[in-house]
Amino acid sequence: MPPTDGTNLEEKLGRLIETIDVANILTEPLTRSLTRLLEISASELNSEEASVLIREGSDGDLRFLAAIGKVAEQLINIKVPAGKGIAGFVMSSGQPMAVSDVGEETSFYSEVDRTTGYSTQMILATPLSHNGEIIGVLEYINRRGTPPFEPFSPVEMDRAALFAEAIASLVNAYESAKLFRDFGERVLGGDGGHDVGLVRDWLHKLRGSDDHREMMDLAVLVREVASRGDAERDLCRSILESVLRYSDSRTDTSYLSL
Amino acid sequence: MDLEQQLGQDSVGRPSFVNIDDEWRSATGSGVRVAIVDSGIDVSHPELKGRVVGSVEARLESSRVVFDPSASGDSAGHGTACAGIIAKIAPDCKLFSIKVLGAAGLGDGQAFLAGLEFAIKERFKVINLSLGTTKPQFFNPLHDLLDRAYQAGCIVVAAANNLPHPSFPSVFSSSLISVIKSSETDPLNFGFHFGQVIELTAPGVNIRTPWLEKGYRTLTGNSFACPHIVGIIARLLERYPDMTPFQVKSALYAIAGENQGRIESPEAD
Repeated sequence: MPPTDGTNLEEKLGRLIETIDVANILTEPLTRSLTRLLEISASELNSEEASVLIREGSDGDLRFLAAIGKVAEQLINIKVPAGKGIAGFVMSSGQPMAVSDVGEETSFYSEVDRTTGYSTQMILATPLSHNGEIIGVLEYINRRGTPPFEPFSPVEMDRAALFAEAIASLVNAYESAKLFRDFGERVLGGDGGHDVGLVRDWLHKLRGSDDHREMMDLAVLVREVASRGDAERDLCRSILESVLRYSDSRTDTSYLSL
Repeated sequence: MDLEQQLGQDSVGRPSFVNIDDEWRSATGSGVRVAIVDSGIDVSHPELKGRVVGSVEARLESSRVVFDPSASGDSAGHGTACAGIIAKIAPDCKLFSIKVLGAAGLGDGQAFLAGLEFAIKERFKVINLSLGTTKPQFFNPLHDLLDRAYQAGCIVVAAANNLPHPSFPSVFSSSLISVIKSSETDPLNFGFHFGQVIELTAPGVNIRTPWLEKGYRTLTGNSFACPHIVGIIARLLERYPDMTPFQVKSALYAIAGENQGRIESPEAD
């Protein structure tokens, strides 16, 4: 952050906190929507477990972001080193693939299975792609019921690719929101020049302020409208843009141009 | 003589002057140099022992990609799987591994392009590309590389991507051979669908093939259709080593005509 006087810094931090809180509000329902989409798609593909892995850092590592199934909770936040396992390969190659007999290899899957107590036998993995960039991997593991399982069919692979498209948009929205949040936390956490207690008090004051609360309420409202459907979203966007245009015409500042 | 015969066409509209003899069916790909740009190859796998004549791997050196001799094998299993399919169809071809996946600090697309360029510079007669990219920024560099391959007489075979968006290079139909999976079980029974973005179909569903740790896996994906066509091309090239990419494509077209009627529709249609 460039050197700045106290007032300016306070203003900037205030803006940052608002962003962080909005990002938090936005990311939480995103992961819930992801889980819901996983449930629907897994049911469609008659698969027992489904998970979303997203990139972690820039070296191709992955991390479980959302999962459903018996060991879902244990999977969350487990990391997959770059290129490891089917997911790692799909991430780095962009090629979807299905394996119908994962078997007992001493690979990444046996490590994860040892951690979770699960037995991976079949995998369908497809890349999550947004604007040509691979941002993660969507995986379906095993069938419902008892083995032997029917292999995933090419039609199911195509269907998974369609679900992957929807899931990729959610993951992208999650990543954008998280980027804001991480950035804000880094700026606040990394600045040793400030008294932590003072910053914390100030934060508390800000979060308790009516202005801030009203803004959070507005964010929740927008989220609620957006979840109602395309028509509601379009209407909401056009109303909000009109408000901004009106506001622009009256003042010199616009939040869009910051 | 019916109208089709008068026009010199067979029953599916292929001109009869494109004829290819059946000698390729008994060929083994002997002497044909085949590069696999992938995750490496496990050269110790019983199915591949003695069949992989060399391995290199990408490394980043002050923002440039260089290739060093590699003894690290396969990092994912995928390259070994592709090599296994080629070796089954053309057991006497000379496989060469160009490892572009699994190298630390390398962007996927950059290593992929460098691997293809390396294969073209080394004049490998057939290049297996079971990888792809949808990154728009790679469109032009890949196009240039494929033109260079075509002019150098290298036959590049690429797997189509299963994603709803076009992937590169599989959509470049003029300068390479792109393949999508079919449920066909006979490894030699492939199809040619002129006019479709991805022209060739080959077996790619539940293919049992070598994997890491001397094991085997049953795999589904366009990645595994691609090496089937590579194997068939290696057989053709054993018989006719000087075939150009254009002639190879014509030959595949003619053979697919013979296969027609036996081949199933591609699954992704």
